[in-house]
Amino acid sequence: MPAIVGVDIGGTFTDLVYRAGEEMRIFKLLSTRSNPAVAFLKGLDALGVPGEAIVAHGTTVATNAVLEHRGARTALITTAGFRDVLVLGRQNRPHLYRLSFPTRWVPVPDDLRFEVRERVSARGEVLLPLDPEEVDRVLDEVVARGAESLAVVLLFSFLRPEHERLIGERARARGLFVSLSSHILPEYREFERTSTTVLNAYVSPIMARYLTSLQEGLIRRGHTTLWVMQSSGGILTARRAMDEAVRTILSGPAAGVTGAFHVASLAGYDHIITFDMGGTSTDVSLADGRIRRTTEGSIEGWPLRVPMMDIHTVGAGGGSIAYRDPGGALRVGPESAGSEPGPACYGRGGNHLTVTDANLLLGRLVPERFLGGRMTLDVDAAHRVAEGLARALGLTVEALAEGVLQVANARMEQAIRVISIERGFDPRRFTLVPFGGAGPMHGMALAEALGIPRVLVPRYPGVLSALGLTLADFVRDYSRTVMWLLHRVTARDLESALAPLLARGREELRDEGFDDGRIRLEPALDLRYQGQSFELTVPLTTFDPEGIARAFHEAHERRYGYARPDAAVEVVNLRVTARGVRPKPSPPAYPEAPSPDPGDARVGQQRVRFGGEWLATPVYDRDLLRPGHRLRGPALVVQEDATTVVPPGWQGWVDRWGNLVFERG
Amino acid sequence: MDPVLLEVMKSMLTAVAEEMGATLGRTAYSPNIKERRDYSCAVFDARGEMVAQAAHIPVHLGAMPLSVQAALARFDHLEEGDIVVLNDPYFGGSHLPDLTMVAPVYLEGRLLGYVASRAHHADVGGMVPGSMPLARELYQEGLIIPPVKIQAQREVQQAVLDLITRNSRTPGERLGDLAAQIAAQRIGIRRLQELAHRYGTDTLTTYMAYLQDYAERMVRDLIRRIPDGTYTFVDYMDDDGFGTTDIPIVVTVRVQGEAMEVDFTGTAPQVTGGINAVRSVTLSAVFYVLRCLLEDDAVPTNAGIFRPVRVVLPEGSLVHARFPAAVAAGNVETSQRIVDVVLGALAQALPEVVPAASQGTMNNLTIGGVDPRTGASFAYYETIAGGMGASARADGLSGVHVHMTNTLNTPAEALEYAYPLRVTRYALRRGSGGAGRHQGGDGVVREVELLTDATVTLLTERRRHAPYGLHGGAPGAKGENLYIPAPEETLAEPLITLPRQGEAIVLPGKVSFQGRRGARIRVVTPGGGGWGKPRERDV
Repeated sequence: MPAIVGVDIGGTFTDLVYRAGEEMRIFKLLSTRSNPAVAFLKGLDALGVPGEAIVAHGTTVATNAVLEHRGARTALITTAGFRDVLVLGRQNRPHLYRLSFPTRWVPVPDDLRFEVRERVSARGEVLLPLDPEEVDRVLDEVVARGAESLAVVLLFSFLRPEHERLIGERARARGLFVSLSSHILPEYREFERTSTTVLNAYVSPIMARYLTSLQEGLIRRGHTTLWVMQSSGGILTARRAMDEAVRTILSGPAAGVTGAFHVASLAGYDHIITFDMGGTSTDVSLADGRIRRTTEGSIEGWPLRVPMMDIHTVGAGGGSIAYRDPGGALRVGPESAGSEPGPACYGRGGNHLTVTDANLLLGRLVPERFLGGRMTLDVDAAHRVAEGLARALGLTVEALAEGVLQVANARMEQAIRVISIERGFDPRRFTLVPFGGAGPMHGMALAEALGIPRVLVPRYPGVLSALGLTLADFVRDYSRTVMWLLHRVTARDLESALAPLLARGREELRDEGFDDGRIRLEPALDLRYQGQSFELTVPLTTFDPEGIARAFHEAHERRYGYARPDAAVEVVNLRVTARGVRPKPSPPAYPEAPSPDPGDARVGQQRVRFGGEWLATPVYDRDLLRPGHRLRGPALVVQEDATTVVPPGWQGWVDRWGNLVFERG
Repeated sequence: MDPVLLEVMKSMLTAVAEEMGATLGRTAYSPNIKERRDYSCAVFDARGEMVAQAAHIPVHLGAMPLSVQAALARFDHLEEGDIVVLNDPYFGGSHLPDLTMVAPVYLEGRLLGYVASRAHHADVGGMVPGSMPLARELYQEGLIIPPVKIQAQREVQQAVLDLITRNSRTPGERLGDLAAQIAAQRIGIRRLQELAHRYGTDTLTTYMAYLQDYAERMVRDLIRRIPDGTYTFVDYMDDDGFGTTDIPIVVTVRVQGEAMEVDFTGTAPQVTGGINAVRSVTLSAVFYVLRCLLEDDAVPTNAGIFRPVRVVLPEGSLVHARFPAAVAAGNVETSQRIVDVVLGALAQALPEVVPAASQGTMNNLTIGGVDPRTGASFAYYETIAGGMGASARADGLSGVHVHMTNTLNTPAEALEYAYPLRVTRYALRRGSGGAGRHQGGDGVVREVELLTDATVTLLTERRRHAPYGLHGGAPGAKGENLYIPAPEETLAEPLITLPRQGEAIVLPGKVSFQGRRGARIRVVTPGGGGWGKPRERDV
């Protein structure tokens, strides 16, 4: 396979993984927040990446532009009577039981929301034609008010895009950056389409500036190909990412999940639940041979209906703070000590008990081996903050620490139930893949609570995102609302409606250099019973309407526990995912262990508390473990950026990829 | 009591209710249930006391416990596999469209508790499509269902299903919604059994009781922080739609130490039109205010919350109606005013916390008739957002649902696909929020064109009495309902007698009439009240 380097820029660290054939190199450095490209290019130089390597990038530039409200000055044009749809949203307030709310940020201010007279009906007829002269007048005003970017969202434009296109052409002629809803999201529900299109308009110019300047630095080093990670877990060219930056806004966790999925699949497990536990929050997701996706994402309350990974996030992580509430319950989070001052045991002035402190108090961390020994954890500090709380709750410090983990794990268990059981999947048929700084510490306890039989800890749980960037497929997604009754359409109707989407996918991938043997076109339909208003996406395996109906009834039965074979089925959206399949790597050349006994990798022993008892527990160094070594709990495995806790009752081995695979019993 | 297990069981039991809600919300048919999330699910202990409820819609807060009590009063023994359904407002319900299901949960022959779900069904018969009519007595409002078994010993009772669907204008939709609700009940049963398996039946039932004590402690802690005293407030309902106007709701809140009394003595007697609130609705409104003051979403909504509070409701009054008073709008309109008066009283005790009045109505609009595209009858029901009251902390939000509801709108594009209607305007009503140091939120203008002749019913409030401001803040603007006739439409009763405003006819707050194809209904919703003197506003 061609050489490739994955560069993932996070809040604290910039991670790089370089792969060429069997060779793999890793580098981690501090991010440069003011200009992320600085650390990016520094990392490339430090790794000595050759100029011919493809550069695959995971960036939160678009995400941060939204979170920090630093996007482009954006205007919006809507059908007359509807310019407030953006602020009215779905008319619900963000919390049920609050008497006041902070004023909400709106990406397009009142004086930049415009209307044009035009109207298309639900059947796609033009009820009121658009007047080009009115368009010109409005666009003059858009420009006069200093807008750089323009979103255009007209009612039912997905049935008849002509009006939007006319506005788009004239706006581009005026030098505006243009986002048309019929291009970005040709699907019904005007608020969600408006929000998605507006956010694209808001972030794309920022993304374009960032990627353009980054490309200059890359070209000087000989790199001609720059790819960017999307929220869906698929790769996009930099050129497209500049126009459709909305597709990257929720990409933060996507590369990690992609990395976890590829690592586990190569190891032989493609039904996995990923568990990414960081300092303040935890992300979980599920793959059943393919990564589950959704189009129901949002940021700061603004919906984003482009494909993203179906990730569920809970506000509990290593830094979550424990306290006693006035009713006497032990609460953990959502307040977090963050990285500054951090948990009490960091010794930087943190004076609240956190999940990390609880892990330390129970012996699950090795104080002098934290972050590869660059930081020593202060057990006494953790003990001091625990004592007061323990007294208030009438518990011993040990019982409190165990309680903190129990409460935090209960939250995470619920998160996994949401993405598995509530979606119709039985977690007992899956492998748990923990990663992130704290994931491998909690993974096996969670697996036990959910009956998950196997846990796979990737070789490099701390750089899984950068690794995922080097492994992800190239993906384009297309959709269109049709709103048909399934029993009224023929196989021919479906085939000819899908044909343009399929053709577009094939062409775009050919343009990116994929030959037909590596292009996978995956058509799907969003279906529902007529009268419902949530759709299920069902992969299209046949054009025969009866076969499609059967597949839908089955999917509905599995997800919701019932089907209505006699009810009419509605085809809401057509979807096509075009995938450019990237070559998968061969196993690295790790030397085999001479025997299953991991004695050579043993670097210590300490007391660890499991199930209310202190047990003498060996400590192993991950870097010294070799394929073929076998481990049995209780054990700790330490490495630079993660500690794996193996409770009694679990045993495992190192596979040929260097992963740790544990099973119950 | 173990503080760790308390917290773990709290999240586990709340998750049971939430998982039921996720099932119901996603599988239901009525837009009311799916898009507008007009439903609730809850878990009860073996004595029928509520342990946890998923937060979906506040107006169901106090009503669910009465449903379980009604089911238990009717059937002294519910067997495994039984599910009871009911909607009788005078026997466990709130208004007729809200159908509640209650099922016992057993494990190895031992009763663990009950699960219940309540959902607003789009049509249960009665005078007008949508079953939110302007009626004089309960019988006109739709099918009354006392507690009956819709499932007995695991067998769905076809006769009960037939009876309900035959009484609805949209039987297919009813069937789908009932199936979704039964599915939610089954999920709840299974999850509660799993918890008993995992933690032991004794532990589960013990902690169900502890969680009520816990919520009680949290509320006592809250009440302790409210200054002792007696606080009185009065506000008015506009009218009942049958000639009675300016109907007072009076509340006296007495706070002493950790206890609170909420006394509605002095409130007007029940009226002819359906703005009467049954007891459960009034309890929900009081319950809602307490929940808001707690400012902690992690406190489970359960029976413990009510223990420190005594609610005094004069029987036969607007806030505790006697059978067979009509009640359709008590749930959606009067409940809002009850919140307004309780907050108005508490504003004297907690000036920094309590906001000015919000729009105080849900602006219920129902349009029904025959869809010319299919020949089938349709019933479209929506509630429309308005302005939120300002507080010491912030301006009020604009164009949101307030207090007792938080249902979603139906997107214009979804509405036009599904019904012979066209949305012609959906906008903020600028300047309608009351002025103040903090400004009230703006109301909304929503205009819908009829593409076929249809029955239109409006149940709205705050058309005569504006949402109050506080501490020198101005009231929010009153709402307005307009009818813009079709070109060359010949007007009939009652439209012909109503006042005009240019091309438009000004409709009363509560009205039912035949609208013509090509005419438009414009609902202009109230703004929220302002807080503090306008001249103190930071610019």
